[in-house]
Amino acid sequence: MGKRKVGALEKVEADLPNLQHKIRRDPVSYKDDFASQYHQYESHREIFMRAPGSATDAGLISLRELIDFVAHVADCYPEITKSFPEDLMNLITLHHTDLEPELREKIVGSLVLLRKKDVIDSSALLQTLFPLLTTTPSKSLRALLFQKILSDLRSSNAKTKNHRLNRTIQTVLFNLVVSDRTSSKGLWAVKLTRELWKRQIWTDSKTVEIMKEASLSDNEKVILGGVRFFLGGDKEREELAEEESDDEPDIDMGKLRHQAGINKKTRKQSKSLEKAAATVKRRERKKNQPHPLNFSALHLLHDPQGFAETLFQKHLQNTKSKLNLEQKLLVLQLVSRLVGLHRLTVISLYSYFLKYLTPRQPSVTSFLASLAQSTHSLVPPDVLEPLIQKIANEFVSEAAAAEVASAGLNAIREICVRQPLAMNETLLQDLVMYKSSKDKGVMMAAKGLLSLYREVGADLLRKKDRGKAATMELKLGERKQRRFGEEDIGGIEGLELLEAYKEEERKRKREAKGLPADAGADGEGNGDGDEEEEEDEDEDDWGAWNIEDEEDSDDSGGWINVESDGEIDISDSDSDRETKPSAAKKAKLDKKANPAARDVDVDGAAAEEEEENADAEAEAEAARQRVLNLATTRILTPADLAKLQELRTQASVSKLLPETQRRLHAAAKIQAAAAASHNRHVDDPLTAAEIEGLAMLSHKQDKESRDAAVKAAKGERNEHKSSAALRKEKLRSQGKSTTNKEKARKKNFLMTLGKARFKQKRSLVETQKVLKGHVERSKRGGRRGNNG
Amino acid sequence: MSKITVAGVRQNVQALLDYSLNEKKRNFLETVELQIGLKNYDPQRDKRFSGTVKLPQVPRPGMTVCILGDQHDIDRAKHHGIDAMSADDLKKLNKNKKLIKKLARKYDAFISSEGLLRQIPRLLGPGLSKAGKFPTPVSHGEDLAAKITEVKSTIKFQLKKVLCMGVAVGNVGMTEDQLIGNIMLSINYLVSLLKKGWQNVGSLTIKASMSPPKRLY
Repeated sequence: MGKRKVGALEKVEADLPNLQHKIRRDPVSYKDDFASQYHQYESHREIFMRAPGSATDAGLISLRELIDFVAHVADCYPEITKSFPEDLMNLITLHHTDLEPELREKIVGSLVLLRKKDVIDSSALLQTLFPLLTTTPSKSLRALLFQKILSDLRSSNAKTKNHRLNRTIQTVLFNLVVSDRTSSKGLWAVKLTRELWKRQIWTDSKTVEIMKEASLSDNEKVILGGVRFFLGGDKEREELAEEESDDEPDIDMGKLRHQAGINKKTRKQSKSLEKAAATVKRRERKKNQPHPLNFSALHLLHDPQGFAETLFQKHLQNTKSKLNLEQKLLVLQLVSRLVGLHRLTVISLYSYFLKYLTPRQPSVTSFLASLAQSTHSLVPPDVLEPLIQKIANEFVSEAAAAEVASAGLNAIREICVRQPLAMNETLLQDLVMYKSSKDKGVMMAAKGLLSLYREVGADLLRKKDRGKAATMELKLGERKQRRFGEEDIGGIEGLELLEAYKEEERKRKREAKGLPADAGADGEGNGDGDEEEEEDEDEDDWGAWNIEDEEDSDDSGGWINVESDGEIDISDSDSDRETKPSAAKKAKLDKKANPAARDVDVDGAAAEEEEENADAEAEAEAARQRVLNLATTRILTPADLAKLQELRTQASVSKLLPETQRRLHAAAKIQAAAAASHNRHVDDPLTAAEIEGLAMLSHKQDKESRDAAVKAAKGERNEHKSSAALRKEKLRSQGKSTTNKEKARKKNFLMTLGKARFKQKRSLVETQKVLKGHVERSKRGGRRGNNG
Repeated sequence: MSKITVAGVRQNVQALLDYSLNEKKRNFLETVELQIGLKNYDPQRDKRFSGTVKLPQVPRPGMTVCILGDQHDIDRAKHHGIDAMSADDLKKLNKNKKLIKKLARKYDAFISSEGLLRQIPRLLGPGLSKAGKFPTPVSHGEDLAAKITEVKSTIKFQLKKVLCMGVAVGNVGMTEDQLIGNIMLSINYLVSLLKKGWQNVGSLTIKASMSPPKRLY
């Protein structure tokens, strides 16, 4: 009997794909067939559910096939298969441990299929799969589930963000991490979150909150997962985004069009051209789309202070913490980044560093980097002073090895960049003396410290170390050391330069018109001139906006549309002309009045002691006021801003360079210098490599490493060739051909022989004809010349 | 909106002042706020900017300031009629987070003597800097009244977790020209902070506490 049954089953099995195909075509007429199959599936399932352990192979196989079949056509008979998804979910949740692996995979696959066919929704699917992921002992199933969950989340967020789903899943993950802090289950939450963060599917603060809880858990793996996410998750995301944008090869539309014009015109060719054009258009549109708002994870933290404090207390200060040194370093890096970035106050952190600051401490440079990173302008200097002192004592001495000394000096510099007040005079002067060290790394590090203090605290240096610029400024009292807790009140940097520049321009223009040059300069010019001037300026203004418009119209993304400008121009300019001069005049009056008022104040206070001094002050005040005027009465146009930027960099660079070199410096170099100074940002982390600095240089290298360095410097150029040969190779690789000259040179000698011989045998008349022809041709501009 | 003009700003300011002073006068001094929307700004790549600028006029005269000082500064504060606290008063807070939070909430800004300021992180912990109200230093040589006006007239641009922000730039009690001056300076400063200048500015709006918003740009 058993035998007969198997035979019958085989027959049915063979029919299933056929039946599936037929059902797809015409669901209604095959309803009965499906119902019978479904019935069979039900009975199989029931048998299995009754005794999961003792199911026969054949039964399992047929159950698998039936599940597959039903899942594929379930969307055609929603009535009949109403309970199908639920049954499957039950089956796998209850029996995932003792199910046969293939059947298990089939069930997972069928559930995903049902999701794709919209029979069940994402949250139901994920709520079934996710608990399995964390409980199943099978590695292969976990891998499968992880992949399926990830792909489902990605696909449901593909078009628009599915906020509801995201929120539920995030809550599930959050609870997973929080509920049992000692278990390693949280790792799945970390993995999933990191992956989704990387792909920019989850970018909100709730995601970050999950990771925050993970890094506060009790399981080392989960902690490290969380910490690593904060330290590297954003970089990973950025890299992925860049990779994706690099993936598509660049399409040169010009080239394609050119080729299409030259080669034979086929339909295929024209189609490919169209396709390329569409791609380019799509990409262009994508480029113009607004950026997704991707704040870095560290910025999205809800309560950085609390987070940093608990991290520090739980994992670092706690003597019972099970983390090893490497793991502790990672946590320390995170804490110090948080402290530096958000300018937090975790005073006990600094004394924690104290015991690790010895040259013998393993990976001490990372500790130094963390220390520097955790310093910011609101750290009390007296907390940092012992640390700097210890670094100086332990690392920087004549007896210490060069790498050690340079690492110490670099660390001190990095700390002092962030909090210059932490340094005292004797120590600084001591450290600066290392600038004459024989070792290059130490020398450079000491010089770095010196140049830093020339800028931020020249009075701590000895007189001869201060340098010209700092000495001058100290003498004039222009520079004051910043006090603790003081925020520099930013003005628009370089505005006075712009003002001076404008003044210059105005004078020039007036001179060109034949008016006295300085009429408007001191604000006493007659009304006519002033007004005229303002009008001029107005027009300049409009011009400035428009210039920018033309230049930037391709990349700015709808900065100004030129068409609409015309009418606005007309409607506005009248009123502008009326109001603006009056505003300017009023401002000028204010300005005149203001210094006077100030004068009185000052006089009252100083009790008419120093008339001169007051005058000077008033003058300075007037100058300041004039500059302020520019900012308060006009809107800076894009052109103004560009000029401002230019003037600023010019000024800063020319201040640094001696007179003779100034002239030599081209604008390009200026820009490069400016770019280099802007490269580092507070948000960027400080690495151990930066602390080690030029220690590499002081290290006497062995031959192998030297060779490796040389090879690395050479780069791709592996064999020695002339530069001409290299250039040719490059051209060849770009698919460009040789020049005519080269072709002539390479031509087979025998082919040229005939012409050469013929030339020798020409008669005088023939030669003359040829030469005449040449002259004529060159007159009209070559063989292809315009001789019409 | 295509571009911003001085005349346009003036018109809007006039309308705003007209609304708040004549049309619907309220029983309090309305503050004028500048609201900024940014665009094409990638907070991760362009990094976040923050900056402070001193306006020619005090935007919020009602701001409360507290002096945390030594005896000399407390005397001066009393002379000006400003609240003051000494180091002992701060010690009494006993690092109690709630009390410190309460203190931070009570005042809009703090000024502290130089000597005491260095101890503030120890005395008060992170409370003040968390609220963004870390004290400004004042030395004995400086004029306290001048310092207070400076603190009052300083505004801070800071980008938080969203791409828009608002700053108080004035009040409706100011004259039209004063208000315009403050607004223009703020706009110019903001634009000079941004990496791509005007290309990063999505919108500029001014609004008094109870008035409808007026779009400048």
